[in-house]
Amino acid sequence: SAASPREQHVLREWGHAELLEVLEARVRQLRAEGTPEMRVKKVQVDRPPQGHSSRWAQKLEAEKRVKQRRQKEVDQQKQALTQEFWTLHKEPKIWNKKLAGYLQPSKKGTPTNSEEKQLAQALQAALGRLSSREAEALARKKAKAVEAQILVLQQKFLAFFECCVCTGQVPLAHHVLVTHHNNGDRQQVLTLHMYNTVMLGWARKGSFRELVYVFLMLKDAGLSPDLCSYAAALQCMGRRDQDVRTIQRCLKQMMEEGFQPQLLFTDLVLEEEDRAALLRAVVKAEPAFRPPPQAPSPVNTSTLLKDIYSKEGPVSYPKLHLPLDTLQDLFYQQLHVELSSSVCVQSVEKAPVMSKEVIEARKTLQALREQWEVELLRVLRETKATMGRQAYEGQPTLYPFLCLLSEGEFVSILMQVLKVLPAQGEPLIQLAHNLGLRVLNRHLVKQKQVTNHVQKLGQRYSQYLQLLASDTQVAPCLPREYWESLGPLEAPAQQPWSVPVLLQLGKQLAELLVQAVQMPRSLAARQGAQRSIPVLYHVYSFRSYRQVGILKPHPAFTHLLETAAEPTLTFETTEVPMLCPPLPWTSLHSGAYLLSSTKLMRATEGTTQHQRLLEQCPPAQLHGPLDALTQLGNCAWRVNGHLLDLVLQIFRDKGCMPLGVPPPRSEAPRPARYQLPPGSTPVHKSELRKELARCLKVAREMHSLRSEALYRLSLAQHLRHRVFWLPHNMDFRGRTYPCPPHFNHLGSDLARALLEFAEGRPLGPRGLDWLKIHLINLTGLKKGDSLRMRLAFADEVMEEILDSADNPLTGRKWWMEADEPWQTLACCMEVAHAVRSPDPAAYISHLPVHQDGSCNGLQHYAALGRDSVGAASVNLTPSDLPQDVYREVATQVEEFRQQDAKEGLRVAQVLEGFISRKVVKQTVMTVVYGVTRYGGRLQIEKRLRELSDFPQEFVWEASHYLVRQVFKSLQEMFTSTRAIQHWLTESANLISHAGWPVEWVTPLGIPIIQPYHRESKVQVKGGLQSITLTSSVDESQKPNTLKQKNGFPPNFIHSLDSSHMMLTALHCYRKGLIFVSVHDCFWTHAADIPTMNEVCREQFVRLHSQPILEDLAKFLKKRFCSVSSIKSLKSSERALVTKLQETLQSLPKTGTFDLGQVIRSTYFFS
Amino acid sequence: SDFNIEPLPDSDLEESSPWTSRNRSEPTRHIACKKAARNLVRDLLEHQNPSRQIILECNPGPGILTGALLKAGARVVAFESEKTFIPHLEPLQRNMDGELQVVHCDFFKMDPRYQEVVRPDVSSQAIFQNLGIKAVPWSAGVPIKVFGILPYKHERRILWKILFDLYSCESIYRYGRVELNMFVSEKEFRKLIATPKRPDLYQVMAVLWQVACDVKFLHMEPWSSFSVHTENGHLEKSKHGESVNLLKQNLYLVRMTPRRTLFTENLSPLNYDIFFHLVKHCFGKRNAPIIRHLRSLSTVDPINILRQIRKNPGDTAARMYPHDFKKLFETIEQSEDSVFKWIYDYCPEDMEF
Repeated sequence: SAASPREQHVLREWGHAELLEVLEARVRQLRAEGTPEMRVKKVQVDRPPQGHSSRWAQKLEAEKRVKQRRQKEVDQQKQALTQEFWTLHKEPKIWNKKLAGYLQPSKKGTPTNSEEKQLAQALQAALGRLSSREAEALARKKAKAVEAQILVLQQKFLAFFECCVCTGQVPLAHHVLVTHHNNGDRQQVLTLHMYNTVMLGWARKGSFRELVYVFLMLKDAGLSPDLCSYAAALQCMGRRDQDVRTIQRCLKQMMEEGFQPQLLFTDLVLEEEDRAALLRAVVKAEPAFRPPPQAPSPVNTSTLLKDIYSKEGPVSYPKLHLPLDTLQDLFYQQLHVELSSSVCVQSVEKAPVMSKEVIEARKTLQALREQWEVELLRVLRETKATMGRQAYEGQPTLYPFLCLLSEGEFVSILMQVLKVLPAQGEPLIQLAHNLGLRVLNRHLVKQKQVTNHVQKLGQRYSQYLQLLASDTQVAPCLPREYWESLGPLEAPAQQPWSVPVLLQLGKQLAELLVQAVQMPRSLAARQGAQRSIPVLYHVYSFRSYRQVGILKPHPAFTHLLETAAEPTLTFETTEVPMLCPPLPWTSLHSGAYLLSSTKLMRATEGTTQHQRLLEQCPPAQLHGPLDALTQLGNCAWRVNGHLLDLVLQIFRDKGCMPLGVPPPRSEAPRPARYQLPPGSTPVHKSELRKELARCLKVAREMHSLRSEALYRLSLAQHLRHRVFWLPHNMDFRGRTYPCPPHFNHLGSDLARALLEFAEGRPLGPRGLDWLKIHLINLTGLKKGDSLRMRLAFADEVMEEILDSADNPLTGRKWWMEADEPWQTLACCMEVAHAVRSPDPAAYISHLPVHQDGSCNGLQHYAALGRDSVGAASVNLTPSDLPQDVYREVATQVEEFRQQDAKEGLRVAQVLEGFISRKVVKQTVMTVVYGVTRYGGRLQIEKRLRELSDFPQEFVWEASHYLVRQVFKSLQEMFTSTRAIQHWLTESANLISHAGWPVEWVTPLGIPIIQPYHRESKVQVKGGLQSITLTSSVDESQKPNTLKQKNGFPPNFIHSLDSSHMMLTALHCYRKGLIFVSVHDCFWTHAADIPTMNEVCREQFVRLHSQPILEDLAKFLKKRFCSVSSIKSLKSSERALVTKLQETLQSLPKTGTFDLGQVIRSTYFFS
Repeated sequence: SDFNIEPLPDSDLEESSPWTSRNRSEPTRHIACKKAARNLVRDLLEHQNPSRQIILECNPGPGILTGALLKAGARVVAFESEKTFIPHLEPLQRNMDGELQVVHCDFFKMDPRYQEVVRPDVSSQAIFQNLGIKAVPWSAGVPIKVFGILPYKHERRILWKILFDLYSCESIYRYGRVELNMFVSEKEFRKLIATPKRPDLYQVMAVLWQVACDVKFLHMEPWSSFSVHTENGHLEKSKHGESVNLLKQNLYLVRMTPRRTLFTENLSPLNYDIFFHLVKHCFGKRNAPIIRHLRSLSTVDPINILRQIRKNPGDTAARMYPHDFKKLFETIEQSEDSVFKWIYDYCPEDMEF
């Protein structure tokens, strides 16, 4: 570009410190490469060749010439580098002649004072309305569907611009924007969002001239500015104290486009400083303007939640058991953890004997790591310099991404990933994704530090603790309400990167690892002149016809790691439970961890539809789920230390599979021998190979179980003697989950037994009875007995209970035979303590006591269909003894079998005596959740294989027969269930065929959309290898009808069971209870079980008193059959919609079950 | 309570099961022409004493070839997958010189790999025991000759499965160097015998087959020599339009005799998977220099290895002959350069079908 001399001067100031550093580093490096040669040369000059040894002289002379030439090249290169870096495009080429006219005069060098005026004029022109022709062109552009590969490119560009703005490299962003704008073809890639991003960057710097340029380009590209564009322009004016007329014109134009100034303050998420600047500008133009006051938080109006949000009635929300200053202190501990980005935890694995070998291995590893850090730093800098250069040539490279974190941070991320790379290697796609995510997360945390958010959070949190602490007086209210009453605290708006962008960055970082990490060829030999070999190898693995790229460590390196047996484990902060109460969920952007962003709704990476629907929701609609999740997360936990000791004792010894403690590798099966004598036949070798493969398979399975247990137990040990919290979020159906993955109350029996409530409550008059009943429930021994009988049984076996508690590993080991042995043991200990305390009613119990829904899915179906027979079999009707639906199904199946056997059906005869509750249980349970005959047959096949006396050659035929009978029995018993399932499936089928994914709203207001689509493929090219990304959640693809229709009934039922759980949680909370859940299993203190049971039944009745199916039909009709939604459909699709309308009108018929009976049913949840 | 932490498993939603059950109605071909059958008998029996040979015939159908073989005095074991043909075969037993045994079994679905329990009716071990067939050492002669026509839809799958069985000495190859005489389509035939001279056809399969066997082309048979059988008895144009075209292809008879020397060096059923991986890897980027592949496959110094097998580092996979690959593998296996020779790890998914 022909820049004037004055321009050149301005340009020079553009350079950014970061870039300068890179540049200098590169120059240093080049110099280093050049130095030895220069030194040699100097020596030669000092001592010119003497005598007439002409051959020598000639040779030296020649060498000298070569070196001089090389030196010159180096110099040139250096110079070239410097120059390249400094020419940045600033002035765009404006294609539109009319717009271009406004920029003309500046080229002729008009004096500065009129430049302002000219810019203002240019802006004015840019603000002008588009002519109708241009508008048409724009519409055409919009209508064109964007190809997947273009979309990936656009995501890359946008992320590039955003990162540039984050790292203060707006000129670079501008340069790349201009470069692409100037090229007519490449301009197609640029979107309004990109122009806005760069504009916002300039606005923050108060650079009006550049901002006007971007505005012009935006117009020139045929785009129409949106609220963000205007906000950026006004913000810039506010910062510069622009003249009134310009601002007024801008505002006027904005209003003509239909944006009222109030919207600037209500519809945009602004950082505080930006907001102030924006307000300054608006007020200058319109002195009377006041930003709209913070609207009082709207109140949720759902009928189900009326009681929760009513200001009347008794409220006694639980407080935490800890005083304010303790909590305050805990907050700082957690903040410290999150700022330091990873947590080191001592491994509970038995420490190795510190032999010479181990010490040596650790030393070698240490030395290698130091070497790698240096090398990684070097390679990183080199890559950064190369990419920086390419960016300055106008390409959206990863350069600004590599500037987001300090070089040291990148190196430490890479070193961590290297440490946990499994011996059999990791697919590149996974590794890259992991690396990309780590960088993103750390960047987001850093952003919060930069914007002063951390400090503000600290202040706000300590105010918030007033509500929770044991020693403060605050009127009871919900945590979210209290937090909101303290005023807004906006975290900077953070957009995660798209998956292809993550992969691109991750792939680049993985490549650095491959390049930089090397080791001597033989680790045993002392380091010396040995040639180095890479530690990581990029290999392909072949899965049938697919080819998967894998990064695999050198076996010698794996061996070294194993020998060193290092005693620490490293976790990401979000993998560890929190040390202070989580942030209350106030919106889908804020809640859970203090700084690390957590999704309100978990989903596979790349799913955007849930987020979109949640964003469109009026805020009050989500209050129910937000408050329920907050409350589940606010439960304080502690580790049951006594139990942990016992588990560790077994874990460090030989493990015990029946107790769920995976054995160490030393216990893995070994082949009789590894090698065969020479001369063995190929067939012998073949057999040995089979044996080896089998052992290897078992060993690998054992290893993965062992690692999982190691993580869990190490975290438990780490948190022993502490109080901690498990922040929660939900899946797309509203089911709730604790966020920390390794150690939480959702895990196996062992994991659950390790946890107890940090806050204890006295057992009270009936608490001990509930403890005993809970104990018997855990053993699984008296499933068919009444509560009274279970209690009596507990007293009967009290001897055993006490023995288990006192001598768990040396006594009669009664607990080990239980269904849930570890929880049984924990409960035995609690019972022992209670009965031995002077006053059991005053005994402070920390043990969570459970109440389980009996086949909860069928309970919801039976209630939906008011199905009397079904309701009775799943305990919706009061009864003296618990009903067992599995046994009933088994009985029914047995009747069918007898009939068939009589008629001479061979398989029915073979099955005589083999049909039990156990054989059918899993299938009955999962039928509700959509298991098909295919899956059901596999389940039954597994059960039949376990029966040693069943003739195995009949397994296939028998399982095939049985699954048909189970389905048939269920249909007879739950007539309405089948009708409802059918109705749901049919609706989903029609909706999906018409081209939409199924959507609905739960009774608590959560918007749900099924993320099942046809597969889409996107290639991420470049670097080590191309990665093909397949996604089945891509909304731009047609819905996957099979999954949509099969998924709808179970997902719908899950959305109901989650609603029931949340309602119970909220009402329990209002009554002052501690409540947590594992889906359809509700936990609280023993003393509070009666209250929880009451609430649980009440809320089930209230939930199902709503016209749930009618509401669903209404919603589906409005969403999919309205005039606006069928406008764009083809005629064939319209026919489907008509059919859908008919289906929705004919709701399944309901039975005569009286829902109120649930209130009196003892075994509904028990 | 019983629950599932993960969202619904998708696998349950898919009703479709593997290829076995879906292809019931797939048409099969049989020898229909007596003259062709006579030629085949000559090809199969060669000049050896017929009564000493076991001929395993896959899906004989109406039994035209079976009859001819028996007439020549051979011992024939017929593996018939279609029940309806079995009654037609049994009368043949009576009035012939040879000896006939009939088994109801699909030869090509025998011994499914990677299944924990193999049903007895598809287990070669059980079937061969019933037939009284005994194993002979690898170094001995050919114990059984197999004749069959590869089902055209699964040619590749079956050829791969046989390769795995062969290199791992499982299934029929437990019994020694079983010789296959197979009719294959022209396309697969060209690929089986390809060498670097035909870069468009030269692929992993060619290398693995030629390393393992002496692959010999016997003769081509026009499509008119075959009859077609479908489950419902006739071909429907609309439904099988495509298959009709396929059925009008000529077929190529290939003989594959396992090499006596296949396992005499370092390659063995213990490490053949590494060899497979090596070849697949090289053909993944067939035009990349072989040295680049070696660098990510093995920890042994690649320059040294290439020197030993007299190859240039710049040579590409596509220019190496099958025996070059074997030599390359054997050389690395023998090298005493390093404790760990291969980066590769055993991985069962590598071989699924």
